[in-house]
Amino acid sequence: MCLSKLSLANLLSVGLLAIASLMLSISAQAGEKVYGKFPVTLKGYSGSKTNSVSYTGQIARHVLHDSLKKLAAKGNGKPNPKLKSLMMSYYSGKDAGRAIIAPKTKGSFVVKQTLVDQISKNKNLSGKTYKGTISGMPNNMTGPELVTFWIDKASSANKGVDSRNGYNYPQLISKFIMGSVFYNQAVDNYLDEKLSATKKPNNKPYKKGAAYTGKEHSWDEAFGYYGVPAHGLSFSGKQLYLIAKQKPEGFSIADFNGDGKIDLYKEMMFAPAYYAASYDKSNKTSYGMNISNAFLDGRRLITSANGEILSDSQRSQLRKYAAIIEKNWQMTLAESVFKYAGSVYKDLKKINASMADEKDKTKKAEKAYIKHWGELKGFSLSLQTGRTKLGGDTAVRLNRLIGFGPVMPNSSQVVDIDSNGNYVKDQSSGIEEYMLHMLKVQKLMIDKFNVKARKNDQLASLDQMIEKLGDSSSAEND
Amino acid sequence: MMVDWFYNEYLQHLLESLVDPKKRVSFGYLIFAAMIGLAWSAFMSRNSWRNGFSQGLRKLFGKRVLFSRSARADYKILLLNHGFLLLITPFILSKVALTTSLFFLLHEVLPSGSAYFSSIPFWTVSVIYTLFLFVLDDFSRYIVHAALHRIPFLWAFHKIHHSAETLSPFTVYRTHPIEAVIFTFRGIIVQSSCIALFVFIFGEKVDLVTIYGVNVLLFIFNLSGSNLRHSHIPISYGRALERIFVSPAQHQIHHSIKRCHHDKNFGAALAVWDYLFGSLHLSEKNMHLTFGIKNRSKMRSHNLATLYIHPFVEAFREIKVLFRKHEEIKKDIINVT
Repeated sequence: MCLSKLSLANLLSVGLLAIASLMLSISAQAGEKVYGKFPVTLKGYSGSKTNSVSYTGQIARHVLHDSLKKLAAKGNGKPNPKLKSLMMSYYSGKDAGRAIIAPKTKGSFVVKQTLVDQISKNKNLSGKTYKGTISGMPNNMTGPELVTFWIDKASSANKGVDSRNGYNYPQLISKFIMGSVFYNQAVDNYLDEKLSATKKPNNKPYKKGAAYTGKEHSWDEAFGYYGVPAHGLSFSGKQLYLIAKQKPEGFSIADFNGDGKIDLYKEMMFAPAYYAASYDKSNKTSYGMNISNAFLDGRRLITSANGEILSDSQRSQLRKYAAIIEKNWQMTLAESVFKYAGSVYKDLKKINASMADEKDKTKKAEKAYIKHWGELKGFSLSLQTGRTKLGGDTAVRLNRLIGFGPVMPNSSQVVDIDSNGNYVKDQSSGIEEYMLHMLKVQKLMIDKFNVKARKNDQLASLDQMIEKLGDSSSAEND
Repeated sequence: MMVDWFYNEYLQHLLESLVDPKKRVSFGYLIFAAMIGLAWSAFMSRNSWRNGFSQGLRKLFGKRVLFSRSARADYKILLLNHGFLLLITPFILSKVALTTSLFFLLHEVLPSGSAYFSSIPFWTVSVIYTLFLFVLDDFSRYIVHAALHRIPFLWAFHKIHHSAETLSPFTVYRTHPIEAVIFTFRGIIVQSSCIALFVFIFGEKVDLVTIYGVNVLLFIFNLSGSNLRHSHIPISYGRALERIFVSPAQHQIHHSIKRCHHDKNFGAALAVWDYLFGSLHLSEKNMHLTFGIKNRSKMRSHNLATLYIHPFVEAFREIKVLFRKHEEIKKDIINVT
């Protein structure tokens, strides 16, 4: 009895020691590369703040995005003005008291905040959505018009899915916002115009009364849109993935301050960083690490200016970091287009192979097809919202190959949207032709971006066989 | 720059190819070929096995074989062609590009094949693919080889190979650069078509059955003494088997100067193509073959400049003859009408 008590005590102390050392090792690991705190360098600042880092607005928008995605799947197949209004409040409203629908506490993965306002007040997504024309969809809609159109459709769709026309609205909305808000704002605004000599200079506050300079905050806002935990810059793709998926193993990694709760502002992982981590898991890429390092190096450079205006060489170096971030972020989107084009191809193969009497199997394959097509379309449109808008004929080819809607098993496809917002359909050249389009999308991503992770690579067997047979050059005679 | 290229590209690639089991003339295969050749000589000797063994040694490694003018030309051609191939490879049609284009083309003209073959097990697909690739590759070699003999302006280039008067495994590389380009194209076309077709039909199930990374059938072919075809050891397989597989003796007949041996035994590994298309010549007992080409030919000189340049002169002459014939036919048609 005595022995067992002793053993229990020993066991407890060993356990505590293990936890403490784990926490220490995480802190030590994170300590080397943490985005903040950075001191206040602004000349003449008289406030009480000692940390110049702030990107709460960006995290609030991540939360609005995650919540909107959840809401988009709440429809019951009938027109639902109440749901539409709720979704719009998360997209374009600035109402106080909006609850966080996602990410929420999940089992032992306890989330600190329950309201969007607890992170930042008066924030919306529509004001930051890319305002240019979205040429991959009909009617020359702007970014906010397209999201609003999809929100309307989602509110009356069954669980957000229109199985007749092949649209999964939660996926379309989410993947498009990842580009048209987060990617666009970061690379086409904060890391572009706001790095110029005249805009948001480093010797003035970003706005009146702020504790940070123009350049410091511009850089921080871009970092916020990327959505990686402040202490997660040196974490592996696998560790970051565990946090994003709110796995119990991810909790101990995410809870940097050890308060038993995950602070969404500093300790959580959001969509853009999650996708980068998901490709880095393969060890073929290091998009996330490259982006994180560039953000940290850039911020250190700005801090080293100590509130003085940045010299040309400092801005030039900052532009180099910005270019790394832009390139790797773009690659992440291109990898996603590649991955989901492969998923769509595989789904279509299953649909093609399933027999007429295998209704359940066909239905399941169609559901997966519509979901993956939504992800593919959303990411392909996102890829076109960067600083260069993709340029050349890549966007045109991508949009033509994917189309305005998926080719359905009966070969019908949405080809237009009429003035009342109804889909116009026509007969396409069929599933086989569309499968070929998916292969061409993958090839386009290889040719234009040289994607490396290549998930769901449908051309991999070709490459493997070519490699296996080796060099064909031969002077061997017979 | 030139020195760098020589060490890092040329020399490294050359040494690698000598140990690469994908190449016919690699050390492993050469050792096996020598063992088979010596065992055959000892076993088939009319006198003692010792006598046969030493005869085999002379036929394989004798000074008259390995250091003849013909053999020395083989080595020089090997070294020159190796550099030539390294330089032109980047400009030759890419296998990746052709395979991908063919794969896309198949998707355009046919419904997706892989959907209908999902129940076939992996191993079956691999076995079919390995066999198909070997047979198609061998057949394409037969076609190209026959064309090199029967089309006069191509024969002008292939003659360099037949100008060898002593045969050693390195004679396999006694090739005109124009031929090397043709062989490279052949390899690319065959492999690309095969890969594109099988991946189109069977998807990711396609794999090659290999030993040391080489097609298992090719490995067996090379290990079983394929290098002895270019040697003076006339190993015969017997009348039945020589209708299926090309024996070293049959290929030596192909190199024979005798009129009745001309344009026979074009096959590489399989003799069935010769059997089917009427170019088969079985080996005979006590053949005393002389290798090379007719006495009058300039190509007998073993001089590198002649071997490389003269084929162009001959090919040009043949093309001129062809044009002249074409003009004459045109005139005849006009006269008749």
